[in-house]
Amino acid sequence: MKRSKRFEVLAARPVNQDGFVVEWPEVGLIAMGSPNDPKPSIKIENGKVIEMDGVPRAKFDFIDQFIADYAIDVTIADQAMAMEDTDIAKMLVDIHVPREEVVKVARGLTAAKLVAVFNTMNVVEMMMAMQKMRARKIPSNQCHITNTKDNPVLIAADAAEAAMRGFDEMETTVAVVRYAPFNALSLQIGGQVGRGGVLIQCALEEATELLLGMRGITAYAETISVYGTENVFVDGDDTPWSKAFLASAYASRGLKMRFTSGTGSEVQMGYAEGKSMLYLEIRCIMITRGAGVQGLQNGSVSCVGVPAAVPSGIRAILAENLCTTMLDMEVASSNDQTFTHSDIRRTARTLMQMLPGTDFICSGYSGTPNYDNMFAGSNWDVDDYDDWNIIQRDLMVDGGLRPASEEEVIAVRNKAAKALQAVFKEFGFPAITDEEVEAATYAHGTKDMPGRNIVEDLKAAEDMMKRGITGVDIVKALAKNGFTDVAENVLGTLKQRISGDYLHTSAILDKDLNVISAVNCRNDYRGPGTGYRMSKERWDEIKNIRQAISPSDFDV
Amino acid sequence: MQINEQLIREIVKQVLSGMEQPQAASKPAALLGRSMTLVEKGEARPGTKADEVIIAVAPAFGKYQNKTIVNVPHSDVLREMIAGIEEEGVKARVIRVLRSSDVAFAAHDATKLSGSGIAIGIQSRGTTVIHQKDLPPLSNLELFSQSPLLDLEVYRQIGRNAAKYAKGESPTPVPTRNDQMARPKFQAKAAVLHIKETEHVVPGAKPIELEYSFN
Repeated sequence: MKRSKRFEVLAARPVNQDGFVVEWPEVGLIAMGSPNDPKPSIKIENGKVIEMDGVPRAKFDFIDQFIADYAIDVTIADQAMAMEDTDIAKMLVDIHVPREEVVKVARGLTAAKLVAVFNTMNVVEMMMAMQKMRARKIPSNQCHITNTKDNPVLIAADAAEAAMRGFDEMETTVAVVRYAPFNALSLQIGGQVGRGGVLIQCALEEATELLLGMRGITAYAETISVYGTENVFVDGDDTPWSKAFLASAYASRGLKMRFTSGTGSEVQMGYAEGKSMLYLEIRCIMITRGAGVQGLQNGSVSCVGVPAAVPSGIRAILAENLCTTMLDMEVASSNDQTFTHSDIRRTARTLMQMLPGTDFICSGYSGTPNYDNMFAGSNWDVDDYDDWNIIQRDLMVDGGLRPASEEEVIAVRNKAAKALQAVFKEFGFPAITDEEVEAATYAHGTKDMPGRNIVEDLKAAEDMMKRGITGVDIVKALAKNGFTDVAENVLGTLKQRISGDYLHTSAILDKDLNVISAVNCRNDYRGPGTGYRMSKERWDEIKNIRQAISPSDFDV
Repeated sequence: MQINEQLIREIVKQVLSGMEQPQAASKPAALLGRSMTLVEKGEARPGTKADEVIIAVAPAFGKYQNKTIVNVPHSDVLREMIAGIEEEGVKARVIRVLRSSDVAFAAHDATKLSGSGIAIGIQSRGTTVIHQKDLPPLSNLELFSQSPLLDLEVYRQIGRNAAKYAKGESPTPVPTRNDQMARPKFQAKAAVLHIKETEHVVPGAKPIELEYSFN
């Protein structure tokens, strides 16, 4: 065939480098509405669910059992399940129906019924619902801070810049797992230089992650994964009960935590049982609710390439975020992983959460260049900072970030690198040279950093764990070396571990280390003029971009 | 799970079309694409010699699937890893894990059979991990999670480093590669390959010793 020149140009567009597949329900490659999804039903006897979504109790798998016993409110279930799908959907978008009323009904719905409700809604309706159903009134944002070499100085500098730019939570992970203690330490120090009260986590294998948290080096955890089919749980030697136990291990030590799940994970792991991705994900959301966990990171997350490859996949992602809020939990709504080569497509995907606002719009936004992002790349990275800020300004939407000047970014990066240099010296770790401090201050990413002796660093990181270094030791090392303000910030986050106030749903800390959560900052959206409205100060901050010219710039 | 083979082929074809190969700097080896023979020798037993590393292949590796997600032949992958192990003066054993297609569990099972306590796990799509006995299953010594970025040079380095761990050394980890566009390009294909791998999981089955030869 003679090629059309238009089609040749189209073929070269970024979007045509993405992978797409047709729906394939037999193996679960379908976002919503699989012909194999169960039909909604419930039967309750003596306060116990004896049939759910067409399955009698005797045939429950362990996920069914966990959901039936712990996630469904049997006092409302009969009434809620009797409602029309569209009536429930209308409650979600109706500004005259308060959030609490929707939450009450949602607690009585089965997974199949929740899916049926979402099947009736378009994305604008889901965004309307999200605006009302988000637990915390003020939206927020989370970032990733990693690099391919696990360079600690760069992690500290990147964390400081990201905290100053407005992220309330930050997450690191490792290129080499044995670097984990250093990554956590560097993130904690850098974050608290950027602004007091930033919460940090280090995503790792669960036992190590818990240990770092218990030592007071990290403040929260998020990568406790749950799945929608029994086989995937079994593959990981886990059950809903073991995950619930792990959740309580965190909570009992005063550590904030949320679960993680997302559409596509069961397909990715090879065990989707022919069900739609959204149906399986809603089972995960209900497991999380049943386990008593305050929040969930979902929105496909690292499996986003799977729903994004099929029709209505990005809509399913919004539906799963919305479902989390309907079950009265904090939602960290993904937007954190690359799924497309197209700038248009990645922006459209993010507006679904950015416009209505979620507890964490990204979970997270890459606070490093994407080549350094060890979560295999985020949907947004440092090179997009100005785009994000200008979208906030264009639409008068609070996406959690603020414009920053080059001078203040350089200053805060330098201070973080120096603080880490001092702490490394205090602990007797391999020295951070002045050359490294200088490089981290001005770096774009690891390509601008001198190399470190990795073998020596790994030995010292192991030594850090063997010596039992804790958050208190970090406070002491900072204070002794003149970083009193940073020491106080680290100490402030440690105090939260004792008071436990930040274990409430959707909690973050402000710069004075006060808790802002769904308890003291409840979302009360009821239509225009209600809910979250930007303060004048916040709007001034967003408006104030360095690129805008003002009358005084003209010589007339 | 019953899967229609023809449907899978169609989907794989669709996923493959429109996907470019990555510009990975694969060093052209002289031996590329030569076949290998894997003979199953019954249940794998614990090794007694401290100078061995086990390579644990996933259920479909070299049997139902024969190349990685970027079409590197499994025979070349295995040969490079074994060569890497042997050039450090350590012996390589190969087993097939059947009870799981999860690379961490395949490798972790193998560490318990490895005389040195060190094992490499590899899935058919190419995802690889170096593991050590007594680490939690989902921890590791080195993880190579982005299968589209792994070429023969990396597989040889993985073999070499695993052997060094077996000798009690602390090698510098194989440099981590990262491509943020690997997911958009390959995730759907990775899912299909993993579904095909997982079809061959036999719950509760013991790992099998494999005798290998390269033709």
